[in-house]
Amino acid sequence: MRRLTALALTAGLAGSTLLGLAATPASAAGTSDVSILHGVPGLTVDVYANGAKLLSNFTPGTLTDPVKLPENTYDLAVFPAGQGPTGTPAIEAKGVKVPAGANLTVVAHLDAAGKPVLTPFVNDTSKVAPGKARLTVRHTAAAPAVDVRANGAAAFKGLTNPNEAKADLPAGSITADVVLAGTGTVAIGPANLDLAEGSNTIVYAWGSAGDKNLKLATQTISGLHSAPAGVHSGTAGLVDDQLPVALVGLSAAAAAGSLLALRRALTVRRTSRG
Amino acid sequence: MTRWTAAAIGLLLVAVAVPTGWWLTRPSPADGPPVLSALAAPGSPSSTASPATPSAVPASATPPGSASASGRTPAPVRLRIPRVAIDAQVLAAGVEPDGSMTVPRDARRVGWYRYGPAPGDRAGAAVISGHVDARSQGAGAMFRLREVRVGDRIEVGLADGSLLGYRVLAKQTIVKQRLPVDQLFARDGAPRLVLITCGGPFVPELSSYRDNVVVVSEPDPTSRGA
Repeated sequence: MRRLTALALTAGLAGSTLLGLAATPASAAGTSDVSILHGVPGLTVDVYANGAKLLSNFTPGTLTDPVKLPENTYDLAVFPAGQGPTGTPAIEAKGVKVPAGANLTVVAHLDAAGKPVLTPFVNDTSKVAPGKARLTVRHTAAAPAVDVRANGAAAFKGLTNPNEAKADLPAGSITADVVLAGTGTVAIGPANLDLAEGSNTIVYAWGSAGDKNLKLATQTISGLHSAPAGVHSGTAGLVDDQLPVALVGLSAAAAAGSLLALRRALTVRRTSRG
Repeated sequence: MTRWTAAAIGLLLVAVAVPTGWWLTRPSPADGPPVLSALAAPGSPSSTASPATPSAVPASATPPGSASASGRTPAPVRLRIPRVAIDAQVLAAGVEPDGSMTVPRDARRVGWYRYGPAPGDRAGAAVISGHVDARSQGAGAMFRLREVRVGDRIEVGLADGSLLGYRVLAKQTIVKQRLPVDQLFARDGAPRLVLITCGGPFVPELSSYRDNVVVVSEPDPTSRGA
């Protein structure tokens, strides 16, 4: 992980709404959490958003911590490190929409044919059922369609660049690997993944099959847990908290006896007067 | 004639005294403030944290990033409440297929919700639940939880041999459908130990109690390592 320190440091006044607002508190309305993953092998870069430098000396395989970006449309450009935002960028994505209240990861990666591209993914931050963990797999490598296997069984089939597949699974450790779709030919892995309860573990396959540098990068979003539905912890009724039937009967019998005695008392009084 | 009158009065007294006596001698279903207020930070009403922000997000009032201290803390292995003679082995427990918390099948043992905070974590509610009773086993480990009172001392033994002391803040009997699970299982906020079992009226048709008995306690540094 690496922080977007450049973002806060270069925060100016006018002209750079992105940078100026990026340091506002987490509670600010109209922002999204945005992380950036560098998945292009062999290229150290600087990243610019709307002309302002967002990241310096960003190395392949690095994932930034999330930052709050105001809702807006951004032109993203990636240049070789130190070159400055002039000339033709190495990678460019114009008009990337950052909505409010979302969680995004922008990935610089190779497309299936090996051309560098920028792809924004929306991360699923909906609540996970208690005891479960979410696994998201994203194909961002210059490679054909793949299957992802979890503990030896195909979990996601026929995944292609730049798409994702996801599922909520029981929390715990799994062994995962990536194979060419429909085959047993292992392309990446196996790797151990710790799927923490109440989190979304996002695994990226990146690199190039042709250059034999396919790798995995992992991002984890926690805090998606939910509470158990309840607690059921008694089946015998030994401490049943209501008036026992025997006592209800005793009380009722006493009340009935009391009425009978009262009537008798009144009868006796009337006859003795009459 | 006065004999019948006396009998009528005497029987009336019996009719009233029987349920009244039962009512007075049963363990109180609640003690102290509502458990929800006991879950909040100690001495918090004035909320000095940040007057600028509305109180809608209590979690953010606690130190940032404090939620996930779990994982480092040794697991709880033993629960004791000396005054009501509760003494049980603690097992790590997860979730049942129906989404409810797993309670150890062995009614003599109790379960700690292993996905949430552990006793000793700096933030959040560590939840331990156990059977009040079980049809095939009789009284369970938490049979006398309903007798707990505010101020009672609770001890939790950890896997590394250390001992944590707690002091009861509140006890409440809550209808299961209205159990505030989000707050009772909160992973942030003030550190609390939450004990849950069943109680209230028993529904024989469902082999189940209507309510949960919930006890909320806070770390008691003075009793540590006793």
